[in-house]
This record gives sequence, C-alpha cells and structure tokens, in this order.
Amino acid sequence: MTLDRALIRIAAMEAASQIARRPIHDGQRLISSGLIDSLSVLRLISLLETKLNVSIPPETLQPDDFDDVDLIVETVERVAKPRG
Amino acid sequence: MTREEFCGSVRSRLLAHEAKVLLRVAMGPDFERPVELTGRDILQRGEQLAERFDLPKKRSVVLLLLPHSPEMFLLPLGLLLAGHIPAILAWPTNRVDPEKYQRNLVHQLSHLPADLLITVPQLAENLASSLPYGTCGLELERGSSYEKLFLGVNARGRSEGKKLGTISPAPDVDALFLQFSGGTTGAQKAIVVTTAMLTKQLELLGDALKFTDADSLTSWLPMYHDMGLIACYWMPLWHGASSLQMAANDWVINPELLLKYIARYQSTFCWLPNFSFAYLSRRREFMQEEYRLDSVRAWINCSEPVRLGSMMEFAQTFAEWGVGRKSLQTSYAMAETVFAITQSELGKETECVTRKSVEQEGPGYTERAFELIDDVYISSGKALADTELKIVAADGSICAETVAGEIYVRNPCLFSGYWGVEGFQAHTLTDGWHATGDYGFLKGPELFVIGRFKDIVIVGGNNIFPEDVEEVVNTIEGIYPGRVVAFGVEDREFGTQGLAIVAEMKNDSTGVTAIELEGAIRKLVLSTIGTAPRYVAIVPQRWIVKSTAGKISRKETQERFVRERLSIA
Repeated sequence: MTLDRALIRIAAMEAASQIARRPIHDGQRLISSGLIDSLSVLRLISLLETKLNVSIPPETLQPDDFDDVDLIVETVERVAKPRG
Repeated sequence: MTREEFCGSVRSRLLAHEAKVLLRVAMGPDFERPVELTGRDILQRGEQLAERFDLPKKRSVVLLLLPHSPEMFLLPLGLLLAGHIPAILAWPTNRVDPEKYQRNLVHQLSHLPADLLITVPQLAENLASSLPYGTCGLELERGSSYEKLFLGVNARGRSEGKKLGTISPAPDVDALFLQFSGGTTGAQKAIVVTTAMLTKQLELLGDALKFTDADSLTSWLPMYHDMGLIACYWMPLWHGASSLQMAANDWVINPELLLKYIARYQSTFCWLPNFSFAYLSRRREFMQEEYRLDSVRAWINCSEPVRLGSMMEFAQTFAEWGVGRKSLQTSYAMAETVFAITQSELGKETECVTRKSVEQEGPGYTERAFELIDDVYISSGKALADTELKIVAADGSICAETVAGEIYVRNPCLFSGYWGVEGFQAHTLTDGWHATGDYGFLKGPELFVIGRFKDIVIVGGNNIFPEDVEEVVNTIEGIYPGRVVAFGVEDREFGTQGLAIVAEMKNDSTGVTAIELEGAIRKLVLSTIGTAPRYVAIVPQRWIVKSTAGKISRKETQERFVRERLSIA
C-alpha cells in the first residue's frame, strides 16, 4: 500500500470525527471509551474506504484495530488495497 | 418425555450421526479450518468437559461465561446430560474496561442463586473471593488471549449475598437449562426451559421448516441469544443437521465470511436479525470474492422488527449470487416461548400490507413505546401448529383483522416461570395466554408485528432494558440521581435501533464538566451493559419530561430528544 501516511491520517481523523459527531484528537479512544458503537465501526470502515478509494479486507481485523487514529492509520497501511 | 428420556434421545441422535460432522466452530486467525466435531465427538467431548467439574448436587445451576470457542458449544450439552442446569451468560463482544466489567459482574452474579460459575481461568480466579458460590476456570484450547485481558485485575468488592449451601434451590420444574431474556445488572432473570417446552418447540419449528438431517446452517449468533441457542444450536443438533458457528465479533468485522461459509458448506438455513440484511447489502461492493448462495432455502429475518426495505435491498443486492425473493423468510420469536411463535411459509413470498390499510390504534391505546413507521409492513408468518394468537385492545376486547393491538400468544412452549434473584418465580398466565408486550395485527392467519409497548431497545437483535442502563448511569457522581432516561432511536440505515441516554447534570456539581460526564457514561455503559450508546446527552436539571402523574416519561423524553437534540448530539 503506497498511500501517503499524512493523507491517511487526515482521512482517519475526518472519518472518526464524522462518525463520532465531534472533533477527535490524537490518542482519543473511540471504541473502548464507548464513543462509537459496533455498528458505527462498520460505518467508519466504509467511510475510510470511500475517502481513500481503497478496500479494507477484514480477514484479520478486530474492532480494536480502529480504537484511535494512530491504530486506524496503522490498520489502513497494513491491510488496505487499492480499489479497481 | 422426561428429562432422562430427553437426554437418552439426545445421545441416540448424536450417535446416529456419529461419523457426520455436525458442528463446525470457526475461529481466527485460521478461518479456513474450522474445528470439526462429529456426533460422537460432541457427545464424548461434551461429557468429558462436564466431568471436570465437581458439582455439589444433581440439578446444579451452572453459569457459563465463556468466549466463542468449541468449549462454549460442548460444555452446556455435557452439563445438561450430566443432570445439571446450564445458563449461558453474555461474553463481552467489545473491548471493555476489565476492572469495571469485573466489578459489574460481581454485582450482577452475586445476586443470582447459582451453584457454580465456569469461566476462563484468570477471570475465575479474580472472582473467586467475591461470589457466594464457587468459580471454576476452564482452560480453552485456544484461549490465551482472553486470559491476558483479566490479568492483574482485582474484582474489588465482595458479595453480601448468601454463602454456598444456602442458595435457593434449583427450579423444581423439570428444568433443562435457563435462558436469559435480557437484563445485565441486578435485574438479571432467566426463563426456565423445560424438557416439554424445548422438545415441543423443536418439533413445531422443525415441521414448519421441514427441517431434516439433510439441512445445514451457518450462524454468527451467540449462544446466550435465543436465536443462537435454539434455532442455530439445538435445531441442527436435535435434527441431525450440521451447523457452522462463527463469532459475532468476526461477523461484524468481516460479514463476507458468513457468505463464504454458506457457499462452502452449502447451508440451507441462515437466521439473521433485520440489521444484518441491510449490513450485508452495504458491504457487498467491498467483498473480495463472489459466492453461490442458491443452496439457502431460507434466510430467516427474526429477533428485531422485520423491515421490507432491508429484505428487498438484500434480495436485489445478492440476486446475482442466487438469492431469490422467495428464500427471504420471517419469524416472530421470544425466549418466553423458547423461540419461534410464527414462521412464514418456505418457498413463498412473504405477505405485505400497506400502512394506510391498517387501523393503527385499537380501542383505548394512546401511547406506544415504539412503532415502525414503514409505508409497508411485512408479515412475520403464520402461527406454528398448536399455537394461538390474538390481538387485544386496551379495553380487553379482541381487535378485528388489520386493527392493531397487543399480541397475545398461547402454546405448549410457553414458560412457566423465571429464575432470578428470588430463585424460581412462577409466572401466572390468564387462561394460558401470555401478553407479549408487542404491538401488531392479524390479516387472515398472518401476523404483522409493527411495534412494541414494552420499553426494550433492540440494537442489532440484542435486547437492552432501559432500566438497566439507567441504574448503571445513576451511580455516576455528578448525575442527578434518578434523572436518567435511556431509550432507542431509529437507525434507518441498518434497520435497527441505536441506544440513547439522556442524563441530567446536578446544578451543584463542581469540578466535573458535561464532557467528562458523557465520557464516564459511555465507558461505564459499554463495560457493564456491553453496548456503546449511540447518543449521550447531558442536560440541565428538569430537562427530562415527566408525565402528568409526576413520573419520568421515556416516550416523551425520547420525542423531545429527537426533536431538540438529535441533530447536535
């Protein structure tokens, strides 16, 4: 995956803020804090896929992989594939 | 059939399929190779697992708190065959704060009259000194990750309850197992499922579905849920059909797996709550492969209100993969009748009725807790054999066809009591009828469920009692005690509900901000109830709406919240 890390971070921040309906800051826990529920994790993944035009294959994922912006960035870098 | 005869029948049925794989348990990371268990494996390993536990007496009530694993499917059966009464508790599906979770467990479990709790070893050790009955650890073949979660976490707090040996006696009815119908805090109570109730349900539902040992199913539904336990575990086990069981967490993050397993094992049945139909459809464009799904005789929508939109979207999205409109079926079920009350007719399109052709209110109803506002209602099918339905108006009169009222049910699967804090409590029925608390109408033999009177929030098929949420939130410092309201808010995208909480902040609370209170509520509710709230609104004192009688009104507070706060929540 060759997406720019800064770009992924911006998309992750925007997507998380949109789903949580508030500005999200670095390190803020999304799932373990109860800020977003399990169905919203799914919305978050869909939103990331749309924003970055990637597919996030979920084979090895857990909700914890989306618990903060850093984890989202790492997860996208690790598993996202370009859509085509 | 007596309990002993039932156990004998289960053994015979399993041995009749001794070499056939009846149960597959899919677990990560190697989803390609589920654990496979034949009829003989299930029987032998289940009984061996149960023998590991030294129970004080026959008919011991054994609470099981285990994650998705082969043991989760084997041990309840082994305990039942050994003469005990298993009761499956919900394992947290989300990452939770272990300390808060354990503290809540102590609060919840110390009030239940049980004989033993079996859970993962570290959690058993942590809880051992805090419960009035024994705890035992069960080493799972693939369970090391669960151990880490609870390492070094103190349960904090001792039970003030009864000591082992003075607990309430097990239900004196012919109980096979207990099925929790909801309630995650002190209000926890379970339906007592007897031999007669279960065997009748398996027979009636089996007949309605023409379910045989040639069938197979794929499920992500957990065993503590009636649809997971009865439809997806007992149905195949009893009828000699095979099932593949995957974890709810794995399904949520990777719904494609469900379709992959259905195609691979040629499943003929798949029970799903309504939101799953919408969710699978939305995930279609991101799926990696294509699957043939023609083998499925019935996708059964059950456990939360069925919505035509979700089902049509599913049918259209997956038509190319072999999903036909006639394979989309519906059912109305509840733990109080073990499981199904109605079932739509396989091979036929489910009936629909437009909203405008229904008289929305039977005589005397002025308020409803929740009502679908769809333009078209979809039938939940006909009553199972030996099952009677009636629709009752508030004045007790019977509603005419297409006039909505409260749904009443009478059948041989109806429960006779609850088991909870006070031990076994008989449930009184009037002439054998059970008032379901659900709102609907009949059109000919077809039942349409269009809402409910009872204050239950159903999130993705999971029942949440607002009282439980409110009790938990009321313990937070800075919240005005007793001024908390929880309710469901429509999630139109997925055809389910989100949990909303409105809490009044004390005027004199110093040193704590509304944002901090919101964070505390979210974390505590997730740890204790197991579901994260979609919305939390911290409001000033006297914001919550009271009825004219001075009682807090959930319905009116919900309406005010939706009207004034939803857009900015």
